[in-house]
Amino acid sequence: MTASATRPAGSVHGWVAHLRAGGTTPWLAWTDPSTDPGSDPTSGGRALPGAQQLELLRRINLALESSARPRGDHDHLRTRLADRVLAAPAAGRGKADLPLVGAASGGFGAQPVDPATVSAHELLRVASTLLADDLVALGPDPVRRGVPRPWRRRFRLVGDPVVATAAREHLLGRGRPEGGPRPFVVAVGGPLDELLAHTWTQRCFEHGSRPWADWLRFWRERDQLPARADLDDSIHRWGGRRPYVRVVTDLAQLPEHLGVRRLPEVRVSGADQAELARRISAVVGIRVPVGERPALMRTLQKRMPDSGVAPVVVPPTEHDWVASSAARTTRALTRAGYPVVGDLADLAPRAPGLTGLSRHGGADDRQVLDLAIRMIVDTGWRAGRERSVER
Amino acid sequence: MSRRVLLHVGCPKTGTSYLQDVLFRNQEVLREHDILYPADRFDAHFLAALDLMTLPWGGIETEAVGAWDRLAAAVREWHGTSIVSHEIFARATPTQVERALASLGDAEVHLVLSARDLVRQVPAEWQENVKHRSHITYAEFLRTIRDPARDSRIGSWFWAVQELPDILERWGSSLPPEHVHLVTLPPPGADRGELWRRFSRTFGLDGLPLDLTAERENPSLGVPETSLLRTINERVTSIIAPPDYRPLVRETLAHQTLSRSVASARLGLAPADHAWARELSQRWIEVLDERGYDVVGSLDDLLGPDAGTFADPDTATAEELLPPALDAISALLVEGARLRAVEERLHRELREAHEELERTRATTAYRARRKVVTTLEGSPAGRGSLDAYRRLRGRKG
Repeated sequence: MTASATRPAGSVHGWVAHLRAGGTTPWLAWTDPSTDPGSDPTSGGRALPGAQQLELLRRINLALESSARPRGDHDHLRTRLADRVLAAPAAGRGKADLPLVGAASGGFGAQPVDPATVSAHELLRVASTLLADDLVALGPDPVRRGVPRPWRRRFRLVGDPVVATAAREHLLGRGRPEGGPRPFVVAVGGPLDELLAHTWTQRCFEHGSRPWADWLRFWRERDQLPARADLDDSIHRWGGRRPYVRVVTDLAQLPEHLGVRRLPEVRVSGADQAELARRISAVVGIRVPVGERPALMRTLQKRMPDSGVAPVVVPPTEHDWVASSAARTTRALTRAGYPVVGDLADLAPRAPGLTGLSRHGGADDRQVLDLAIRMIVDTGWRAGRERSVER
Repeated sequence: MSRRVLLHVGCPKTGTSYLQDVLFRNQEVLREHDILYPADRFDAHFLAALDLMTLPWGGIETEAVGAWDRLAAAVREWHGTSIVSHEIFARATPTQVERALASLGDAEVHLVLSARDLVRQVPAEWQENVKHRSHITYAEFLRTIRDPARDSRIGSWFWAVQELPDILERWGSSLPPEHVHLVTLPPPGADRGELWRRFSRTFGLDGLPLDLTAERENPSLGVPETSLLRTINERVTSIIAPPDYRPLVRETLAHQTLSRSVASARLGLAPADHAWARELSQRWIEVLDERGYDVVGSLDDLLGPDAGTFADPDTATAEELLPPALDAISALLVEGARLRAVEERLHRELREAHEELERTRATTAYRARRKVVTTLEGSPAGRGSLDAYRRLRGRKG
């Protein structure tokens, strides 16, 4: 079958029904024009999904096939999933739903495409809508709140958002909520390139963000640091005064400055996880009131399966700016004379390599799509109580 | 009274802002005449469109949660005619169109599309892109939209909201052609009230005592002004976030300052592009004519004006850019001064609040209590005692 030959209308509906029934044949290899009207929701004059939805469904079917689950009872679940995929909009201002090459068209609208050539970026627009709807349906995990210990140490955590968020939540569960009268301002520092990576990653799991490379460029061109990565400014903002401030660069000593013996080790989300979360967050923003989004996104952060991809890394093109910003922060903290737990020299960037990541230091769209399809196919992340991330 | 819905889905740059403003401001009068324009804010239908189409839009979409369903529910509950209007509905996919029409219930749906010739729409759309942070040159924009692949974000959006036969096919294929109303914009130089008369007739507003004052329009810019804005975007798009860009650049610079230069040359098409736009428009006119829609105006309006003198915004000289640049600097300084005044007022209020607080603390008894508290806060036992004391007193802080 060539891409240019026009096929009978029944052929498209036949292929949709084939995919809906779990088929994996690519469009250009599809030769059976027969249609079972009862098995194709798009027959009978209903709108045809775009190539994005159809190709995503085919990839999902491929993944389901390779997961070797027995069909039987799962059939109705698969059909329901297929219907959701076919009806899901591609989020954002990208391409509208693309028609299939070879299918009859009125001569207007977007250029028909071979679905197999639709980019991972386009497929992700549909996949992120599905996952956002799954997350909204799941709802936020409850936050554990222990009975407040009256003798607890009062603290205000600023700095590294990944470490601070995890510690804050752990301490809340142990009856040691943040805040209180005259708290110590505990600023968690580290190599600035890692701090920036953690700040962007955590943003993706809260309110979303612009893409990693754009976000870095935004701050570099302004020659400013984002609020949570700017330790000196964070301490100022929380009214930290010299004896009541600790700048902690040695994380092993962080627990005692928060009044506990130990803290759970922190898992930094991989670049693919953060990028997928960023896309999901954009859709969640249209689905639930803005105040509910962070709790949902943090639920996602804890439940998202790990694919082994490294966290985002500051690319070499930004190293000079990061190094000069780190030096400026070090000077400001030194001048302010805050007590330091560790060494301010630890704020200097480490500049790790880009192993397994794109040249921008983020995840490749294909890695993100693989993760998205895995989450659509394997619903384990939606089941039961939250998984522990402590190591 | 029969239930009808007039669903106005586009196109951008066809006088929609003015129409929507009139409808929004005259909701009460319209209701008295059994016409519903359900909007609690000016951009209510824009938010409904974002919701329907799952379209993130620089953060505004967070205000759109459930907006389409609320709008559709209001329409379903209304006993008379309802009007829904926003130009970005034009971009909806067939699946979204199906959902939208299904959610309007059993009312008789009439689709309205207002349309202007491509000769004027192409430059207007480039200008809209520039007002929405883009720094694409005019030549590159034209290359992008003329690329048949429509592979870029700009190209796919442009055709999704401007290709009349496609929009009408997507939105109108399930409706009888007499329920599809194509309102053409009058040619340049026509009577200024003519477009309103066409809208009024289509939406059944003739004879209603409406306040037609133009409070909100989407003004166009001249050639050097657009060129300047594009150049500014090159510098600022990557460092000014959308929530700051909207008030500072689009509102203060573009709408309130640069659009005032009415003497500047207006943007058009170069001869080759003009010929291409005319040829394409002619094809559309033939197709639309065959479909038998209700045309309000004339399909000939869609052919566009003859080619005029072309002023290329990509080659605007520094001398041409200087006057609008000075206007821009002046406007931003005035805005900066206004914001400084706001900041100063807030600082003053904060200072006064601090002083008030200090006065209440300036007593010997307070200082003594504070010393005790500070000492106790230094040890776990002291903190426990303080906490117990505060609980007894029923205080948290």
